[in-house]
Amino acid sequence: MVTENLAYALTQVLHNFGAVTVVGGAAFALWAPALPSGREAQLARLVTLGWAVQIASGVGFGGVSYYYYGQFPDIHGVAVAALTTKVACAAAGLALALLLQLRGERWNEGRRKLSWRALALLGATALFAAAFLRWFS
Amino acid sequence: MRWFQSQWLPVLAVFLMVPAMPAAAAEAYVKIISPADGARLDAMDLAKLVYEVRPGPKGDHIHVYVDGKEVGILQRLKGSYALEPLSPGQHSLCIKVVNKAHVPIGVEQCVKARVE
Repeated sequence: MVTENLAYALTQVLHNFGAVTVVGGAAFALWAPALPSGREAQLARLVTLGWAVQIASGVGFGGVSYYYYGQFPDIHGVAVAALTTKVACAAAGLALALLLQLRGERWNEGRRKLSWRALALLGATALFAAAFLRWFS
Repeated sequence: MRWFQSQWLPVLAVFLMVPAMPAAAAEAYVKIISPADGARLDAMDLAKLVYEVRPGPKGDHIHVYVDGKEVGILQRLKGSYALEPLSPGQHSLCIKVVNKAHVPIGVEQCVKARVE
């Protein structure tokens, strides 16, 4: 019981910090004073890491459930739609953040700004879906 | 401080025993009071699931299933749940206790009912 709750809690800690990173990182890039290009690439790397942590910890929730009960969470309807939304956001967010990190310096400012907006939107949508996943099943 | 130094062993024993007591007292169960297993229901009547649940230390909330598909969440530990109209034929009605992550923890009861 204690180890099970600990496993869920530690996974949740990673998931929460991942969420803060993807949304906060993109928001900072949009609203902070203009960043030097090296700093922007660093921020993109941080957001890439944030999305990777989101995916890993999301899989981790399923893994903890499977380890302790031999099955995955039993969700239906709205919760499935919310989970699908989160997975889609995470996949798109990871890919876009990675592109921004690797090729962003060659892009013009307008394209970079658009990418950060898209990343902020993906992060906010994933957070929105997370609330529905938590409270519907 | 001096009192604690002389009494630390009984104090430790109490702390070690306390977590075990509520777990033993709160054994989880699900009881479907109605319909009874094998009951025949009238298709024209509103089918109700009358139940009593104790989620236990590992349980968080309760899911209701009809033919393996989740149809709702029970908000109370004791009461009744109105089912959507059921088609004629045999149906499996289940109540399962799940944890915070919506994973069934193995505390459940199912009954079969025939709608005519």
